[in-house]
Amino acid sequence: MYIQCKNITCSYNKQHQIFKNISFEFTRPGFHALFGDSGVGKSTLAKIMSGLMMPDHGTIINESGSQQIIYTTNQERLPGWQTIQMHYNSVLPKNSRENWQHMMHLFGIEHCLQSKYNQLSLGQKNRVNLIRYLFQDHSALIMDESLANVDESMREKIILYIKKKFPEKFFVYISHHVREICKFCDQIVVLRSVSHSTQTIQLNGQNLYNNTIDSEKLKKTMLEIVHAT
Amino acid sequence: MLHNRIIQFFILYISGLSALFIIKISLGLSDYVIPSISDIVYTANRILPVYTRSVIESMCIAIMGHILSIILACAIGILGRMHSFSGLLIKAGAYQIQAYPVVAIAPIIFILLGDGLLPRLIITSMICYFPLLLTFVGVFTEPVADIEHYYKVTNTLSWILEIKIRAYEHQQKILTVIEGSATLAMVGTIVAEFLSAESGIGHQISIALSQSDMSKVLIALFLIGLSISIYLTFLAWGLWENINNKA
Repeated sequence: MYIQCKNITCSYNKQHQIFKNISFEFTRPGFHALFGDSGVGKSTLAKIMSGLMMPDHGTIINESGSQQIIYTTNQERLPGWQTIQMHYNSVLPKNSRENWQHMMHLFGIEHCLQSKYNQLSLGQKNRVNLIRYLFQDHSALIMDESLANVDESMREKIILYIKKKFPEKFFVYISHHVREICKFCDQIVVLRSVSHSTQTIQLNGQNLYNNTIDSEKLKKTMLEIVHAT
Repeated sequence: MLHNRIIQFFILYISGLSALFIIKISLGLSDYVIPSISDIVYTANRILPVYTRSVIESMCIAIMGHILSIILACAIGILGRMHSFSGLLIKAGAYQIQAYPVVAIAPIIFILLGDGLLPRLIITSMICYFPLLLTFVGVFTEPVADIEHYYKVTNTLSWILEIKIRAYEHQQKILTVIEGSATLAMVGTIVAEFLSAESGIGHQISIALSQSDMSKVLIALFLIGLSISIYLTFLAWGLWENINNKA
């Protein structure tokens, strides 16, 4: 099982090139990361991977399972006429009610059930949005800043939960939190601007399943990432 | 709110009347051209019950025409949002029809359908539906990407849900145009009645015109303005109250 991006070239309006022949792959299921400076094209690459955008050249080989790669971002909203409960009831499988209620409890948003989306804080919105994607039939989920507004301890709790709950699935986490990525992600693709001769660098993270940290190893990985960008 | 609109209408009506009297005095026009206040009051006493009935009749047709045009514009908006050939054809056709002046098409409608309720309704709808159509087409073709994304990637976005999301997100725009087009509905009804109907306030204005009786016209205008103010007030109250409750 793997997801491979092969020789991706892409430009905006056929003029402004953002990717030049980039290739990388996530070779096994797990919690991976796509990292890079703002504006290098992480979201664009994620959209290409999930089929929402077409590259000028290159292919995405999805050998992660029979289902598609799904892309989610923290910019999403829920329909304004529904409460969170109404929305979950309408979009999630009928028999998953107990599971999503449990997940809401773990993510600290069980009290938001009767609220409408626009009444929630940004962090709550992130979590509400993420839960509905975790119940979809996907083989890979790209999480573009999906937890950007959630506090650090809750973010870690959620990431660890996802890693334990869905070990057979691919997750591609886009975030600017270097430490978090180094701690919890397995394979890390560092995306650099098109001016670099090699636009992607692939590194290995600590891939932790708990909060026990080997400081030296973590520091080393973080340095590698910082150096790569 | 009703209070405000009625006051606004009275200010406007009295300003218009004052302007007429200024013209009358400054140009030295006779009472035959622009009647005196006593003439207007005398005529009002005589014709007010008949004109009130006519205005109510016209108002009812205007409301029905307004509802019909909302349904029509909504339906064409839904069909016209499609990027297919038929969607483009429907949209182009709807715009093309509107390019013809309604008064030019009205005789055809009257010849074919006579001078009953139906032609008046059709003409009313034709006059007030275009701003509605533009808004509905605009709203229904404008994706709400941040909400629709989830349904698209999970393959659960039906066309009904798509319409519902877009209408909900642009409800202020829709309600504003519904409110605005209500005035056009009354205009449409009066135009239709003026052209060929045998009842309604437009028909009464047509008779007053043939008699060159400006008192009757001024009284008709007063009643039309008053009825539109009341209709708009209730419409706005109904629409915005609905939104506030949902919020």
